[in-house]
Amino acid sequence: MLIGQYYIPNTSKYEDMNHSKDHVGVFICHCGGNISDIIDIRSVKQEIRSDNISTFDCEYLCSNVGQDLIKTSIYKHSLDKVIIGACTPAKHEKLFKKCVEDAQLNASMLEIANLREQCSWVHPNNLATTNKAISLLNGKIKRIQTALPLIPIQIPINPNAMVIGGGIAGINSALNLANNGIHTYLIEKEVTIGGNSAKIGKMFSPEKLAEECSMCSLSPLMNEVGSHPNITLITCSEVENVNGSAGDFRVTIRKKPRYVKDNCMACGRCSKVCPTYVENDYNCGVKDKKAISMRFAQSVPQIYSIDPDHCIELTGGECGKCRDICKVNAIDFEQKDEMIELDVGAIVVATGFDEYDASRKPQYGYGLFENVVTQMELARILGVNGPTLGKFARPSDNSMPHNIVMIQCVGSRDESKSGNKYCSRYCCMAALKHASLIVKKYPDANVIICYIDIRAFGLYENYYRAVQDMGVSFVRGRPAEVVQKANHNLVVKIEDTLTQELKEIPADMVVLSSAMEASAGTKQVANILNITLSEDGFIKEKHSKLKPVDTSRDGIFVCGTAQSPKDVTDTIAQSGLAAARTSAFISDKVIRLDPQIAQIERSLCNNCDECIKCPFEAISKDKLGNVDINPLVCNGCGYCTKLCSKDAISIAGYKEEQIMAEIDGVIEKGDVLAFLSREIPYATADNIGNSVAEYPANIKIVQVPTTTIITKAMIEHALIRGSQAVLMVEEPTDNPVGSFIYPLALKNFEQLKGELGKKGARLHFKKAYIPHYRGLAETFISLAQMEDIE
Amino acid sequence: MKQIENIPDSGIFLFKSCMVSVEYPGIESSTTYVFDKLGIDYFVSDEQSCCTGLGYYFDLFDQMSTTAIAARNFAVARKNGYNNITPMCSTCYAINKKACALLNSNDEVRSNINSVFKQAGLDDLIYEQNSLDEVDNFYHVVELFLSKAKQIGKLKLKLNTIDFSGVRVAAHHACHYYKIQSDDMIGNPNHPLLIDTIAKSCGADVVEWYEDKTLTCGAGFSQIHVNRDLSLKVTHAKLESLKEAGVELLLHMCPNCQIQYDRYQPVIEKEYGTKYDLVHMNIAQFVALALGADPVKVCGFQTHSVPLDEFLVRIGVSV
Amino acid sequence: MTYVISETLSEYDTPICDTLAETVKKSLRTSDTIGIDRCLQCGACTSSCPAARFTDYNPRTIVKRVMENDISVIEDESIWNCFYCYTCHLRCPRNNSPTQIVQVLKQMAINKGIGLNKLEVLFGYGDAFSEFGVSKIPDLYVGQMEDDLGIRWREFKNNLDSVRSELGLGAVAVKDSGRGEIRAILAGIGFFDRQDLLKHMAKSKSNTVDEKGEIIK
Repeated sequence: MLIGQYYIPNTSKYEDMNHSKDHVGVFICHCGGNISDIIDIRSVKQEIRSDNISTFDCEYLCSNVGQDLIKTSIYKHSLDKVIIGACTPAKHEKLFKKCVEDAQLNASMLEIANLREQCSWVHPNNLATTNKAISLLNGKIKRIQTALPLIPIQIPINPNAMVIGGGIAGINSALNLANNGIHTYLIEKEVTIGGNSAKIGKMFSPEKLAEECSMCSLSPLMNEVGSHPNITLITCSEVENVNGSAGDFRVTIRKKPRYVKDNCMACGRCSKVCPTYVENDYNCGVKDKKAISMRFAQSVPQIYSIDPDHCIELTGGECGKCRDICKVNAIDFEQKDEMIELDVGAIVVATGFDEYDASRKPQYGYGLFENVVTQMELARILGVNGPTLGKFARPSDNSMPHNIVMIQCVGSRDESKSGNKYCSRYCCMAALKHASLIVKKYPDANVIICYIDIRAFGLYENYYRAVQDMGVSFVRGRPAEVVQKANHNLVVKIEDTLTQELKEIPADMVVLSSAMEASAGTKQVANILNITLSEDGFIKEKHSKLKPVDTSRDGIFVCGTAQSPKDVTDTIAQSGLAAARTSAFISDKVIRLDPQIAQIERSLCNNCDECIKCPFEAISKDKLGNVDINPLVCNGCGYCTKLCSKDAISIAGYKEEQIMAEIDGVIEKGDVLAFLSREIPYATADNIGNSVAEYPANIKIVQVPTTTIITKAMIEHALIRGSQAVLMVEEPTDNPVGSFIYPLALKNFEQLKGELGKKGARLHFKKAYIPHYRGLAETFISLAQMEDIE
Repeated sequence: MKQIENIPDSGIFLFKSCMVSVEYPGIESSTTYVFDKLGIDYFVSDEQSCCTGLGYYFDLFDQMSTTAIAARNFAVARKNGYNNITPMCSTCYAINKKACALLNSNDEVRSNINSVFKQAGLDDLIYEQNSLDEVDNFYHVVELFLSKAKQIGKLKLKLNTIDFSGVRVAAHHACHYYKIQSDDMIGNPNHPLLIDTIAKSCGADVVEWYEDKTLTCGAGFSQIHVNRDLSLKVTHAKLESLKEAGVELLLHMCPNCQIQYDRYQPVIEKEYGTKYDLVHMNIAQFVALALGADPVKVCGFQTHSVPLDEFLVRIGVSV
Repeated sequence: MTYVISETLSEYDTPICDTLAETVKKSLRTSDTIGIDRCLQCGACTSSCPAARFTDYNPRTIVKRVMENDISVIEDESIWNCFYCYTCHLRCPRNNSPTQIVQVLKQMAINKGIGLNKLEVLFGYGDAFSEFGVSKIPDLYVGQMEDDLGIRWREFKNNLDSVRSELGLGAVAVKDSGRGEIRAILAGIGFFDRQDLLKHMAKSKSNTVDEKGEIIK
């Protein structure tokens, strides 16, 4: 399955070298006073400087000036290794790595001492703080002397993309990708692409007051998809399974039969002779469609399909009229489900929304009274290809409604179990649009919109003003109930909160502005792709501002209403961005993985198979029976190092001798050594600094992949060096790594405590949560103070 | 959330109601009649007191006193090994459910009440946190009937009792059952259908929707006494709507609503100069009747203010 | 006006706080999650309210006044129109509960001696409960009910015991040992102290009470 190659560098040439003779450059950042106001940089430099250690300092190392200083010094002083004393590595590690790489050093020849979040921001301005800074730098200097160059693991990226969902978001994404030269599979579960925007008739837009024909914008795009050489359109299909990871996904698709072959000419004779009428869900469930039909005239692909639940032939009867009349023999009653496997490098999820089921608010009568409809249904009723062929008529008696009352926020802005907390964002504008369409065509109609707040954000305010000018009325309040009187006429009960009057507004038709909910397909696809949903059921973006279309999984992007409620304008903007991100991802051609993962020294391995117990299933045996580590899956947690009795497995960059060397440099008598796992615990410690809390300077932090790699030798080394206590802080159980690792880490801690005998009392264990940084600070304080008593 | 499949039929502590006892005792005898027919394992105690709900909503009882009385009644149930508190009255249901939630979640309330018990030498009443669950141990009798609706329907067919078809029946669900802890009611609280479903299983012709279906009965606890005209205006509005819908029999699940409709319907008729062709029953009385109970000796219809004789004769029940 | 009485109980239903909204949130009568601060003033409560339909009671504006810390709201007669039907509680999109808020406001009013004329007629309820362990329609209203409900009801009430025994039902009251427990609990919790004080206040028609619960003339 894996196309990539896991690269273990040949290290023999480095092993022969005497590292202590390497020339190390130590660069200390002032951080504009954040560090230099607290730490006496001049004495730090004096203390550290030696024959083969040069020291430098700079106002801002992250600035261009600072980067130039690092690069030119590497050349000028022939530096072999670089130590940076600055802010947390979480902030600028990538930047500094690029710096040393630009100067032809391997990225692992760089170490960063956290002098800001874990030193100057958490300790007072005194000698002890400066001494801690010196020891942190010493730790990194000792550690880097044991460092070996690591070569990044590179995996080739499959050049094809997949877009799931053929609504306006998916169509636009696919076209953008295809026009960028990327071959794209577009997967649609229905018989045609178009999605919800094919239903809405007219669209509103921010810059103009006239409503645009939705199909006039959509249809050319749909046709372009159908004929684009870079797009493979697969309709009637759903994603069933996804394997692999970013850059290399294998997707299994189930394609349902349409019982009409691709050679269909769309002449329509079959539909004319078909004797069975079925409910048309495209047109509010009106029975105006045949069992063999095209969903709508502009469908893409232009191929008829048979509804297997209603076709006489397919439900066991005898008919076959369509087969007999078809001139190209396109009808095929024998079609079966088909499984298709596709390899793609990246995926765009554009699975759209479902309209909220308004019958969950029975007080508004949807499903009870015929003349209560939703905005999506009203869009069909107003559409020229709708159930009434463009005639504005109410369902009960086909008469033209004169009084139309619209109710906003049905299922939106509602904390109850039958509602959604969020604002659906499109409904105010949809109500205004429909009010405008009605009043323009039927000036006598009386439209009242019951609202809580009208959210016509940005330029839409112009449209709102125009609709107000047309004479549409607004009543501020959330109605209690809709009541049906004689002749299917309705009454809306509401308090006009601006006048404090209880009103009973008569209505010939009531239109509910139903919420936009994440579609059932969105939830299903998110589950299959293993990407995170928000509390509201939409696909959660990685970062709302910096990574608005990235999902929780690399190589999978999201756009449109699958991500959050939005209108067509925003959907198109976002789908373009998703295509751009996908395109950029694929254009990288290779994916660079973090090299700090498990590596096996096969000469030491005795094939005991213990490491295969990896809880993330990253380790397996290859065909030759050798242990094989999947770099795409391995997160470098280090648990396998504990399982291996031959010391054949280690985490690159975190070998035992490297940690020992750092302890050697960092720990002084009376210190507390805190091993922090590299994700949440390390970030929590940084957060203490960000939050201007304090703890004593004798707390010395050493970062580890997870605490499972900690050995008895490491702890004993710290205790011999004079450490009074050792603390292990682990990932919390609700973090993807912690959920597996935490129990194992706890077990490791208990075992170490036992093995240490009496000294075990000095070993402590804790888990961390970023928001609860105070808890970690308190632990630090209590451990530091406890040692005072001793 | 409460699931209909999980409603128990054993360990039922049938929680007596003050207004059932003194106004419509037939509701209690009908309930036990139906429970016996359905094989439900229940217990009725002569030590259980009222829930204080009327006093609480008269603004006389404070939450702490009400909760202490509830804790005592929970101990009575516990002592007898029947831990599913199941009232016939919706206010008893809501009051007990809230008291249990407070006892479980509020340490101050629990320790305050337990220390009162200790000081009074009533150690056996002490409430242990989470000894009852505010969702899983509290039911209304109507929920038990609903969970047995199919069985009721089958039993009725077997017994071949009354034919309710053609009788226009509607339900008045009790506010305190479905509006207070609305997440724990069965169905949609904006359109409750528990009684409707049970009545249908007995073959009744149910009017599921009528205007103001979720409007309160108008009793409003002290309102019928202190604010009588307002109280009757609400009841009148709803009676008008039931008349409009052609309802002949209104089914209840709370004695307070039943007092308001059955006792005050003649008063409203007099004061508003109108007439209603509408009779009232509790759902337990209706199901008992459907399962062959005696209208006087079990259902206790003789205690009603709107006479049922004519109605019963019409559906073929000999009185 | 001096703030009131039997603090052992009123601290739970009407805890003294800096603002009315805080008192409402901390009161045992309201849900822990009550969304008063999130009120949108949408009016779903008022348009659903049976009292608002027939009187000038407006739960939305009551909530607004509580949010604005307008203490005079407890003197507003209209709060006594609430039916405690909880329709506002059900319909509120923000998990707020005007009906629970009104319960707290009424308790605050009672503590200040407001509305006792509406309360004193109901005192019989508490007496009956503490004596028999069961509730009873207050005697003062039985007369009105007899007038309203006529002879059929009076006869039934007179024959209640025999009707009950025909239906196979036992005594209405809790058995003796239980009644003693109930009285001990109510005494221990402070219910009688409060009830007595309210009766005393109602009788003397005084609005004010000092810290010791003594009526100020």
